[in-house]
Amino acid sequence: MKESGDNMGASSKPGSRLGLPWIISIILLILLVASWSYFLIYARQPQQQIQLATRPDTLVIAMDISDAVSMDPAVAYEFTSVMVVNQLYDKLVDFEPPDLTRVVPEVAESWSYSPDGTLWTFKIRQGIKFANGDPLTAKDVEYSLRRVLILSKTAAWLLQQFIAKPEDIVATDNYTLTIKLKEKVAPDLFLSVLAFTTSAIVNPREAEAHASGNDMGSGWLTDHSAGSGPYILEKWDRNSEIVLRANPNYWRGPPSIKTIIIKHVPEPATQMLLLQKGDVDIAFGLTIDQIQQLKNVKGIRILEYPVLQLAYIGMNVNNTYLSNEKVRTAIKYAIDYDGIIRDILKGGAMKVQTIIPYPLLGFNPATPYYRDVNKAKQLLAEAGYPNGFDIELAYPAGAHPQEEIAQKIQRDLAEVGIRVTLRPMAAAEMYQKYRQQSLQLVLAGWGSDYPDPDNNAKAFGDYRIKQLAWRNMWYDDKVADLVEKAYKELDRSTREALYKQITDYILEHGPYAVLYQVVQYVAMRTWVENFVPDPSFGTYLDLSRIYKEPVLKE
Amino acid sequence: MSLYSYILRRSLYMMIVVLGIATIVFFITRILPGDPVGAILGPQAPPDVVDKVRREYGFDKPIYVQYIDFLINLFKGELGKSVSTNRPVIEDIKERFPATFELATASLIVAIVIGIPMGIISALRKDGALDHLIRLISLFGVSMPVFWLGLILLLIFYFRLGILPGPGRLDPYIPSPPRITGLVTLDSLLTGNFDVFKNAIAHLILPATVLGYFSSAYIARVTRASVLEVLRQEHVKFARSKGLSSGAILTRHIIKPALIPIITVLGLVYGGLLEGAVLTETIFGWPGLGSYLTRAMIYMDYNAIVGGVVIIAIIYSVINLIVDVLYSYIDPRIKYG
Repeated sequence: MKESGDNMGASSKPGSRLGLPWIISIILLILLVASWSYFLIYARQPQQQIQLATRPDTLVIAMDISDAVSMDPAVAYEFTSVMVVNQLYDKLVDFEPPDLTRVVPEVAESWSYSPDGTLWTFKIRQGIKFANGDPLTAKDVEYSLRRVLILSKTAAWLLQQFIAKPEDIVATDNYTLTIKLKEKVAPDLFLSVLAFTTSAIVNPREAEAHASGNDMGSGWLTDHSAGSGPYILEKWDRNSEIVLRANPNYWRGPPSIKTIIIKHVPEPATQMLLLQKGDVDIAFGLTIDQIQQLKNVKGIRILEYPVLQLAYIGMNVNNTYLSNEKVRTAIKYAIDYDGIIRDILKGGAMKVQTIIPYPLLGFNPATPYYRDVNKAKQLLAEAGYPNGFDIELAYPAGAHPQEEIAQKIQRDLAEVGIRVTLRPMAAAEMYQKYRQQSLQLVLAGWGSDYPDPDNNAKAFGDYRIKQLAWRNMWYDDKVADLVEKAYKELDRSTREALYKQITDYILEHGPYAVLYQVVQYVAMRTWVENFVPDPSFGTYLDLSRIYKEPVLKE
Repeated sequence: MSLYSYILRRSLYMMIVVLGIATIVFFITRILPGDPVGAILGPQAPPDVVDKVRREYGFDKPIYVQYIDFLINLFKGELGKSVSTNRPVIEDIKERFPATFELATASLIVAIVIGIPMGIISALRKDGALDHLIRLISLFGVSMPVFWLGLILLLIFYFRLGILPGPGRLDPYIPSPPRITGLVTLDSLLTGNFDVFKNAIAHLILPATVLGYFSSAYIARVTRASVLEVLRQEHVKFARSKGLSSGAILTRHIIKPALIPIITVLGLVYGGLLEGAVLTETIFGWPGLGSYLTRAMIYMDYNAIVGGVVIIAIIYSVINLIVDVLYSYIDPRIKYG
């Protein structure tokens, strides 16, 4: 070892071999010096950069866009993609938030239905052009809606629930479209699905020109657009940014904002820095603590609005204890609803205990349950469990605020004698077990896909469609029949009365303790004007109405 | 002696290793509880839709049939389709890997430039004030949470001083260069777009510093130990007694023999960086492999998990091979054949 070989090698060939570490070091040093000199050059540019960020014709949004899968209306079903698709395409009808109880005309200027409610006729507005200049006709609407049924992707069920086959959608002339439904359906319900982005109108010529195989252009439309909406999809760098450019042919007139940049910023703390600095105009996804820090900051505006998302505890009726309605009521009285909203959610929630969220038709403001330990204990004693029992509560692991809420419920129920074992599970595992009806108590959420009360009433009330009522094994025919009746009711006020009955019934007998309705926040610079938040997670958000005060930053 | 045939043989072994890892991960993902389709479609999706999508991905088939399909695909160079992005996993990785590669390489450069000199100085001034200071700095590096350091640097250099850009690979108003390699720095140079290049470098500085500093601590400690080891050896005393200048002793007789363990560590560090760094990626909005794989795991996205692990296994094997070949270059006693 002492006469080590490298020593010998070193002296025999000095220059060539020994140079290696030095050459590497010198290259690295040059690279480092080079990059730092760029940094120094760059250091003189930030002022200019800030001014650019307040360009009056460009809107920069920071949000997490990792959920987006496809910008094809027939495929899009995630928050980000649905929100973007709504800027790119028009639909027959639309909602104008904050009102989500009545649709407004968009491509269809009027509509009517046959007395039995199964045959619908839409009059198409004349003079609408696609972004490429093609005129939009009833034939194009026929193609687009048929396309959803033929491709039959994730969100196709929205239309498939009402329309049996593609041939039931027919353009009778250039500006008239008829749709035959499988059965009688409440008009508001059918229209609310037509307002969802799945029913958006695609330019058939562009879609077919880019079709590969029989995909009707779906591959190409994943990151291109062929619509008549206010914007055109210019670029989508996955997990980096989505860029929208104003459509010069937009029939309502070109929007004031010419470019929208949706930047992927998954970390709320980074979003906050960008917003405070003025490099982004709107931040979706700040935490409640950050919102409170920003509330009194000059130049920043916070909007607060309830969204169509309920948090609830599901109780599987198949469980020996939970099969007893008195036990379920005892649990409803054991939970400290106000404490959850005040202490865990810091006020960022709306107290709701019925299964249809605000502001939908049929929203029921009743909140009869409150924390009453004695009453809960008494109900348990009446049910035959004066000493309580052991039960498991499943919730999504590592999720906030679910984890804190689960712990709070464990403490709340312990006080009335119910010993809860917490079962945090990966979301994939939890939903699988829930679908298999194999959970006991579960802390879960339910968001409405479209703003019609039927969406929630069916899920919570009708076990036959195998959603929440079925997963909690609550096979109650009385409420299931009521839900079906409301589904088919043509008269709006009769329907509203039915939902009152349904919500009251589920409130009293249902295997759910609805905890609260989620409140969302959006923070923006005060130079952003006319941003109207959408309670439906951005499905009906209209970014084209926004304009910016041209403010230059000092 | 044929290095060429050695590399060929190692590549064959590499394929066996990768296949083995892929098989293990394949079965682990299938056996663990969880339903990727249900998780992606969410609690709302009607059961028949869930079943339909499951059939589309072939998840309704028996596991052994899925495994055979997987192997056939693998030999065709395909990794299946991701449930959460609805695209071939290989496409997703092609899109994510350049961003990770760019950041990992920049971080490695920072780590080497900081770590190796720190380690050498520390060893030469063993137990002196400088040694203690350097060891403190590197202790700080390994023990500081990356997300915290990242946020603090953003707060200082981007928010307060405004001398470095915010998160992302480029400024919002700078169009990305045409995609050639996917490396923004290289593509902008290839297309002669010097402003974009400058912007891309500026965006790399903070995340590369955070990751590089973190890794440099490790490199500095190994370098210090390795140099100390060499300093104790007779040949250094001999060189001194020969009257060689201390600079010559350092370069010819100390650093070179100390390099082997350092290279090993560099290989490991680089491999780790190329896996993607989920926290740094999240803070800096960097579209790399780390966040992709984390998301895949949350959703139990079978194909994306297995695909990602296959890629990481290949990266590690290739780096190991490069490190082994470098050994023989640094130390002629090590021969392969």
